[in-house]
Amino acid sequence: MTQLRKVLGACAIAAVSTTGVAKAETTLTIQMLEGLDRMAMEAVAAAYMEDNPGTTVEIQALPWGQFFQVTELRLKSGDEDIDIVYTDAPLIASYAANGYIQKLGDDIASEAEAALVEAAVLAGSFENELFALPMNSSAQVMFYNKDLLEAAGIALPDGLAPGSTASAADIEALGTSGRWTWRQVTDAAKAVTKSEGGRTSVWGFAFEQFGELYQLQPLGTSLGSKIISDNAMTASGYFDGDAWTEAANWWSALFNEMEVSPRALAFGEGTQLFTNGQLAMFVGGTWNIFGIADSGINFGIAPHPQFAQGEAVTPTGSWFLGISSASQNAEAALDFARYATLSEKGTAVWFENQNQLPTTLHLLDKIDSDAAFDTFPGNVMRLSAWESRNTAEVRPLTVAYGQLQDAFRTAFVDIANGTSVGEALATAVDAYDEAARRLNR
Amino acid sequence: MRRQSAILVGIALIPALLGLAVFRVYPIALAVFESFFTTLRGKRLFVSLENYWFLVTDSGFWDSLWITLWFNLIINPLQVALALLLAIMFLQKVPFIGIFRFLFLIPIGVSLPVAVIIWRIVLLPEGLINGLLGTVGIEPLRFLTSADFALYSIIAIATWKGISYWMIFIIAGIQNIAPEIHEAARLEGASAWQRLCLITIPLLKPTLLFVLIADVTINFLLFAPIFMLTNGGPRGSTNVLMYEAYKSGFVFGDMGRAMAIIVILVLILLVVVALQFRLLSDSRPGLAKT
Repeated sequence: MTQLRKVLGACAIAAVSTTGVAKAETTLTIQMLEGLDRMAMEAVAAAYMEDNPGTTVEIQALPWGQFFQVTELRLKSGDEDIDIVYTDAPLIASYAANGYIQKLGDDIASEAEAALVEAAVLAGSFENELFALPMNSSAQVMFYNKDLLEAAGIALPDGLAPGSTASAADIEALGTSGRWTWRQVTDAAKAVTKSEGGRTSVWGFAFEQFGELYQLQPLGTSLGSKIISDNAMTASGYFDGDAWTEAANWWSALFNEMEVSPRALAFGEGTQLFTNGQLAMFVGGTWNIFGIADSGINFGIAPHPQFAQGEAVTPTGSWFLGISSASQNAEAALDFARYATLSEKGTAVWFENQNQLPTTLHLLDKIDSDAAFDTFPGNVMRLSAWESRNTAEVRPLTVAYGQLQDAFRTAFVDIANGTSVGEALATAVDAYDEAARRLNR
Repeated sequence: MRRQSAILVGIALIPALLGLAVFRVYPIALAVFESFFTTLRGKRLFVSLENYWFLVTDSGFWDSLWITLWFNLIINPLQVALALLLAIMFLQKVPFIGIFRFLFLIPIGVSLPVAVIIWRIVLLPEGLINGLLGTVGIEPLRFLTSADFALYSIIAIATWKGISYWMIFIIAGIQNIAPEIHEAARLEGASAWQRLCLITIPLLKPTLLFVLIADVTINFLLFAPIFMLTNGGPRGSTNVLMYEAYKSGFVFGDMGRAMAIIVILVLILLVVVALQFRLLSDSRPGLAKT
């Protein structure tokens, strides 16, 4: 098939050159995640193609449920039809170790160091070489439905809402002393939840990404324990230790005792429940703001909650662009990746469309100092930038990240469905340790 | 003349043998070969039996193995027994049997993924079955998300889909039994139950053996409902070896482990089928033991 395509391609080029058109078209293909990410990348691609008429950027998008698996298979098989791959930060180590993505070279590395926050360069590196460039970072906040909370007699949390303004000092105060504890969240959730005969019409609280490591890592880390050891060889004594057991017990109670949270949520369903007025509070990404504002729900945004007995920890890290090792257009692909992740114009288009915390120093400075970010929703981005400097905890770096993420998800989904915390965490530890043992032999 | 017919037989067999080689022998040989390799940090390494050795001490693999065996211990006798029952019902000459026959045959016409989607909707907490249970005051049951029910829900769905197909083979088998034998038994005063146990079932043994072996093979390799409904969960309760191998190979990119699991699965299947052959074909179909 590929051979046939090459031959046809060669004929086409020959035909074009005989008719006198000198410049051959380059087509770049990006393997993308479906949804908002695809739409934002389409905007970046359109801006890029305007400046580079010789290049066509094609986007192939897959839904979340298939994305990781299909991407892994295509990269593993050396599929030449992917030039650029959208990559979740923790997978960079594995992709780089397996030779799926290319080193980007010293020139790009120094350019990236000058333009980006250090954490983002580190997250894109493997064994001190840069392999991927960050599209953005991310931050999580708590959305709350004012009407539902007030109707239940709950005093609203400190937060930002449409119409509000917040200076950098206000954001600092909000981050250090305005944060709700999880206890406050569950008390409010219990007051709001309405159910009758086993069917719930209004839920109190939910996490946007049900059971996912990215979303739930702050629970245990805020209580003092990482998920795996620093050398990434074991989760034993970490994920099954006291801190994670306590965190998982709290998670279990959401579903099995207090019954304030829906038991399974596919990606996007939490936001939908919220915009339907069927969910009072949810912790989710800043990317939800526009959709929720459009829905007409009377809402506010509070900082990510924390355990009273722990410290404030928030999720971070996000998506990168890597260049496939099998790409036949590596140079053009790199040019596009630079445009999308480092250039002022490309990063601005992505930021406007995606509303995710940027990683370029240029945009972060602007968020801190530009008065345009005093008002909502700009001030939410300012809060996110504050979190990324003060409370953000990156996900574990391990070549067995895929297995870790799966074991984590399985454990938390099972716990929500009633499995005992001890059993679920022990199973996850076994699964991760076995994978780490195999992959580090 | 004899030589010519031997050549003719040979030519006639070539397509079948080719198919066997390409679709059966080659994949198995490939799986065995690949199970001796692993990919670490982008490098393909020959590790001989190491992939198998890792499995021996891998609790995830053992859990999955027990679930596979338990699943098959239940589903296969159940399906064969129900298919036999259906076949007998199918052949009854009672009013409205046409409607029953039509209903029995529906599952054959529905593809497995479609059947799975339909059953998923039926089994949801707010689905049809829970709605019916609700009318008699029973709280919604979590058929697919509770570790106590999920495996049995999968068994029920696979059985609903599978038995009508096996029923057709058994009907053919029953119709092959000479009516004179039943006639004679009836004249001797044998009851319907006696005729079933002492004539129909013993004479059906070759058919039942075929159905059992084909059914076992399919159920050991059952994948779609688990992939579509439970992803091996909850609490690993539906994580059969096929799914474990799939996840290893296609989700985590660990082909060596996946192939080792597949080879073990094929070996288990061979042993089980060999045992069934022995147990069922040794005893000659005996007639009434009086």
